[in-house]
Amino acid sequence: MSARIRNVRLLAGAGLALGLACGSAGSPGPGGGLSPAASLGEQIFKDTSLSASGLQSCATCHVAEAGHGSDNDLPAQLGGAALNLQGTRQSPTIRYLATNTGFHYDAEGTPTGGFFWDGRAETLADQAAGPFLNPLEMAMPSKAAVVAKLAAAPYAAAFRAAFGDAIFTDVEQAYRCMTLALQHYQREDRDFQPFSSKFDAFLRGGVRLTDAEARGMALFNDPQKGNCASCHPSSGPRPLFTDFTYDALGVPRNPALSANADPAYFDLGLGARPEIARPDLYGAFKVPTLRNVALRKALFHNGRFTSLTDAVTFYVQRDTHPEKWYPTAPDGTVMKFDDLPAKYHGNVNVKEVPYNRLPGQAPALTDAEVDDVVAFLKTLTDGYTR
Amino acid sequence: MKALHLPLLTACLALSPLRAQTPPEDLAKRVDALSRELERVKGELEARPASGTVLGGYGEIQFSHFTKDGAKDTADLRRFVLALTHRFDDRTELVTELEVEHAVSSSDDKGEVEIEQAYIQHRLSPTWSLRGGLFLVPAGLLNEHHEPTAYYGVERNAVETAIIPSTWREGGLQVVGAFDNGILLQAGVSTGFDFSKWDAASTEGAESPLGAVHQELSGAKSHDLAAFAALNWRGLPGLLLGGSWFHAKGAQGQPAMPPMAATLWDVHARWTPGPFDLSALYARGTVADTAAFNQTRVGSPTLVPSRFEGWYGQAAWHLWSSGSYALAPFVRYESVNTAAAFEPLAPASLTPEAAPAERIWTAGLTFNLNPHVVLKADLRRFRNDTAQNRVNLGLGWAF
Repeated sequence: MSARIRNVRLLAGAGLALGLACGSAGSPGPGGGLSPAASLGEQIFKDTSLSASGLQSCATCHVAEAGHGSDNDLPAQLGGAALNLQGTRQSPTIRYLATNTGFHYDAEGTPTGGFFWDGRAETLADQAAGPFLNPLEMAMPSKAAVVAKLAAAPYAAAFRAAFGDAIFTDVEQAYRCMTLALQHYQREDRDFQPFSSKFDAFLRGGVRLTDAEARGMALFNDPQKGNCASCHPSSGPRPLFTDFTYDALGVPRNPALSANADPAYFDLGLGARPEIARPDLYGAFKVPTLRNVALRKALFHNGRFTSLTDAVTFYVQRDTHPEKWYPTAPDGTVMKFDDLPAKYHGNVNVKEVPYNRLPGQAPALTDAEVDDVVAFLKTLTDGYTR
Repeated sequence: MKALHLPLLTACLALSPLRAQTPPEDLAKRVDALSRELERVKGELEARPASGTVLGGYGEIQFSHFTKDGAKDTADLRRFVLALTHRFDDRTELVTELEVEHAVSSSDDKGEVEIEQAYIQHRLSPTWSLRGGLFLVPAGLLNEHHEPTAYYGVERNAVETAIIPSTWREGGLQVVGAFDNGILLQAGVSTGFDFSKWDAASTEGAESPLGAVHQELSGAKSHDLAAFAALNWRGLPGLLLGGSWFHAKGAQGQPAMPPMAATLWDVHARWTPGPFDLSALYARGTVADTAAFNQTRVGSPTLVPSRFEGWYGQAAWHLWSSGSYALAPFVRYESVNTAAAFEPLAPASLTPEAAPAERIWTAGLTFNLNPHVVLKADLRRFRNDTAQNRVNLGLGWAF
């Protein structure tokens, strides 16, 4: 049995188990609105009482107005009981994940799918289960503590109505139903896949791109220029601008990230998962959707860049002008890929355009072309009105 | 039955490359020989039972040596086809072809298993027939007569591969009129194109624009059907003149898809004076509303051309025969352009440049062991993409 089929079966089994455990609360509501489970999921998503600080909800780090990502330029969000502990990775956008799959290796061995920057969660529900108990995030001490908060929430009666009167007596069951409700919410609420950007209007034929935006799109798609579409596909009626794969980019270390105060600390991405027995994948992080990327105030897994122009420029100048992006050692050598142990530097993508260059060569994009690409990326922001 | 099959038989004889296995000294002898052969085949046809099943087939094996890059050399069983024809009665028959490409078809191999034809033909009158199901589109010289014994060269010519995407079949309904004066008229409606299949990131569309979007009755989107017509005239022995036209929209009712109306037409001629076999074909395709489609894919390697075209001229000489053996050298010159023009995009700098026409010389030998088994060898030289230059050896059969 292939890994892909095995994963699909596992997912199907998990979904079935959850469905049986949590009843039919996921059926659409009257008039085609949110199902009872999804409505509960919305309330849970916005409930700050489910955090140790009492001040943090899912919506705190996944802000709807920021494309369901973070709305500030911190390299990682603050959490913990006193909201003074910093996480280790950027809060990824959770928008446009409805079609993502569980983690698997495709026929060519390419890691694909999964949730979080390292794909460790198999479903949206699995992903939703994590932050409540993460000591650097919502920092609840246990599932029982979360369920106790649920039982005291204003929507507790609706929770019982949806999942059974005795639901709060079984902690594991109640916790699963909570995460399933969050999954329903993310799948059903159109806010998580609105496809309402200028680019979507352009695809529907109602709007023209400006010359700069159109040039930017051409550079984005051109395999000899930006080559962005090779990992962030732009084709089809509703492109997601991600292929849900993983790549090691050699993003520079971010000194503003608290965890990096320890020089021995390295975030290995897929390598942070003990079950990943592929050292050639260490340093690889998930390719995020570029929809709403212009709303991001900190980019990449470690929030190293706070400007979209810088991020795009890094792609094309990482190898031609490495001194702009990496620190220089006392002997004058540029310390490329300084956020990875040297033994994994070989994992960094140096073959594909635009990374396939050497110092002194011209970048794949000029500064003016970078501006055009940024102009195009701004068309991917949801909520466009003429 | 005689009236129905006479023009078809004439067509078959005219299309057989080694038909003139005994080159006549003069036209009278040649006409005599043809007449005798025709009478014999007519007799066989009339002797056929009213119903019955006939098994046929064809196949070809090819070796190619690329003169610029030996690493590209390949040996391949390109196709193996079993053809099953069943006559229900003297007016109705089923025609099918089942094809396996590249010897092995599995999830890890590039082979394909395909139904190439599966249609019912019903004779309404001595002149008119109806055809319904999956049939080959009547286009060009080769699409409906594509067995390796029916064309020169190890490979089918580039024009009738890239511009007319032979072997091209669609599902639909066709009326066939076979007149005693040598006119064969075919017209009908069929499934057409699905331009949402166009993958701008791949080179498939550059290899054959219509080949990238035809549907071959495999779950074919059928909101927009196609209309087609073909007229061939074989009123003089050894001469064939004809043309075809195919038109279809390619949006198939999908949102945000412009109509993308595609039209393909061709004119062709074949003349077999004495031992010679001369043919020429011009094919031209156009696609409307490509700008709106391409604008959403600018920068991608393969945008939809607004025009693509090609032509070839071919000359063969039936040099020698002895018993069932026959030898014919041939030469062919082709010009093919799968991206001859693009509609302007905005800004204008994003409009792709038209591709240069590829010009190909092919020279080779065809050696028949008998009319059903053929050995071939040829040399192909490409003017632009010289990496494609190659020597081909082939073995083919058809029965």
